[in-house]
Amino acid sequence: MPPPTKNCPVAVKNNHVQNIKPASFLDLRVLFFILQKAIIILSKLLAFSKKSYLCKLRNIFHQKMLSLILLSVFGITNLFLGFLRQRNIVLFASMAFTFITLVVSWLDMNGTLITFDASLNGGMMANDKLSTSFAFVMLLTALLIFPLSTHYLKDKEAQPAEYYAILMFSLVGALMMVSYKNLIMLFVGVEILSISMYVLTGSDKHNVKSNEAALKYFLMGSFATGILLFGMALLYGAVGAFTTEAIQTYVSANKVVDSPMAFLGFSMMLIGILFKISAAPFHFWTPDVYEGAPSLFTAFMSTIVKTAGIGATLKFVTLFGFIPLGASWYPAWYKGVAIVVILTLAIGNITAVYQSSFKRMLAYSGISHAGYLLMAVLALSPVSSVKAILFYTLAYSVATVAAFGGLMAVAGNKRKEEYAYFNGLGKTNPFLALSITISMLSLAGIPLTAGFFGKLFVFLSVFERGLYFLVVVAVLMAAVGVYYYFRVIIAMYMREGNNEPVQVSSGTIATLLIANILTIALGIAPDLWLNWFM
Amino acid sequence: MAVQLFYFLSALAVLSALMVVFSRNPVHSVLYLILMFFCLTGHYILLNAQFLAIVNIIVYAGAIMVLFLFVIMFLNLKTDAEKGQPPLMKFIAVISGGLLLVVMVSILSKVSNMEAKKEGFDSQIGLVENLGKVLYKDYLLPFELASILFLAAMVGAVMLGKREAGERHF
Repeated sequence: MPPPTKNCPVAVKNNHVQNIKPASFLDLRVLFFILQKAIIILSKLLAFSKKSYLCKLRNIFHQKMLSLILLSVFGITNLFLGFLRQRNIVLFASMAFTFITLVVSWLDMNGTLITFDASLNGGMMANDKLSTSFAFVMLLTALLIFPLSTHYLKDKEAQPAEYYAILMFSLVGALMMVSYKNLIMLFVGVEILSISMYVLTGSDKHNVKSNEAALKYFLMGSFATGILLFGMALLYGAVGAFTTEAIQTYVSANKVVDSPMAFLGFSMMLIGILFKISAAPFHFWTPDVYEGAPSLFTAFMSTIVKTAGIGATLKFVTLFGFIPLGASWYPAWYKGVAIVVILTLAIGNITAVYQSSFKRMLAYSGISHAGYLLMAVLALSPVSSVKAILFYTLAYSVATVAAFGGLMAVAGNKRKEEYAYFNGLGKTNPFLALSITISMLSLAGIPLTAGFFGKLFVFLSVFERGLYFLVVVAVLMAAVGVYYYFRVIIAMYMREGNNEPVQVSSGTIATLLIANILTIALGIAPDLWLNWFM
Repeated sequence: MAVQLFYFLSALAVLSALMVVFSRNPVHSVLYLILMFFCLTGHYILLNAQFLAIVNIIVYAGAIMVLFLFVIMFLNLKTDAEKGQPPLMKFIAVISGGLLLVVMVSILSKVSNMEAKKEGFDSQIGLVENLGKVLYKDYLLPFELASILFLAAMVGAVMLGKREAGERHF
């Protein structure tokens, strides 16, 4: 903090902000309170009006929209907070905003926060437990990721307010993807999430790798979006509507052989969504993009984007493969998806073995975890696979955030993420080494961690469906996974390293602690999470 | 008459779309793309969707194409500067693209019930008044959320495009 000079208004303002820090926090809290009350009052006022536009707006408030609106408004607020010289406020505000949204989306599920006439359903968003649970996983992950970004607050060239704002906008897209009831919503959600991610991938402007990754992601993502849209058009041509109910009615009324256009549309849409969760053979962008993007946003991409994508896949596939499976189109497509699952598991796990960069290994491990998740989607049993997916996304997200937090602390400003950086970490920083170990154990699926039960539930759901071959492949590939996850642990505890001692910021410590506690708690008592929501 | 016009426009659209891909000069590609947009506009007019037709002209043929031409001139692309792909890549691309074409043609050729439903058809459905009603009643939520999409894109563009201290002026 430079001493304030009388000639420089900026410095004076700076000093001023710091002096009244407690008061400004109070103001912020008051601001949130007023904002919340204002929205409630506004929506209650709207409830009395009978005009169609306002009626629809009122429905938006009811149908689970409060969290979307809050995130959007908070994102814009964040942009304005960027004018403040005190950058810490932006971080705390973003975390507070995300936390409020988390609480609101939880309260809103039962319609207790604002009650409206449910018959005036806009029909665009689902308000069920499934979408709320996915929203919970994603918002919790976002809350864990934000504290990892403290290094941006000191970096003069970084623009944290914009980063947080775009992250919040992307969360809007992610929430839309897991709770859509109309394909338009799915498309807009995918676009919001993708465009935010393209931008954030390229946010490290002076790094050539980041630029390359952003361009690559943008081009490939645009093609995937094009395929998704093409499929959507074909599906619309066959069904005549965008709503999920209409599609489900159409599928139950028509056989696959009689409706080739709808099936082609389904396949192309599935390809478009599978691209987003980087399932093989649509995974080629993943390693380069994950490696080139700044680690913070890689963590975001490999957890939240993946959760949103798998949520969208689950909802979409359920339209074409509902119970009883014989009456739906399940027999027509499950073999194709099974091939995708096997390819994803094999390519993700086996290629990860050959990586020399820890971050690239995490990218391939992300591909392999997409395979496990897709396996549970393929099992498609209404209770056990939904439970398995919810549990797995939480376990995977928490462990991955911890892994990326550790990586960011270890790699620091170096633009490479070699395994060698981890050598001897067990002696120089035992806490960091222990938390990376726990996250690696969880990702590998060792008992007493969340990852073990995640894999167990996935395998059980697939077993229930009778796809034994898939289980065998997945168990083999999980064994391969143990090899490359343990490479890090071996490097940390058994190799001698002459790296400098690593400094860990308090934000990272908090994230790692919470993530590890969650990992172990879910590993000891998995019912904790399952009974809470499902 | 309308049927002949439909087939003429469709053939022209497909032809110009192919020419976009096949022509060597990027400026020619853009011109063919404009021709294709005009064909699409003709289709919209045939469907009595006047608003869509005009918007298609203004937004695509107008704004976006100007942007395209600007970028092409900015990059100063030359035909001889273009490096060819390695033959293996070409082979793989032809095989996979051809497979997709074969699958799509074989599937879509089986579609039988493609006649339009005449009963209950409203010829005024594409007019701007009805479009507005649909947009602000049934699709209000996605319509509003699209603004978040544009906001995110705008913030991102400003963030990425902002000149850093020490960068040169153009």
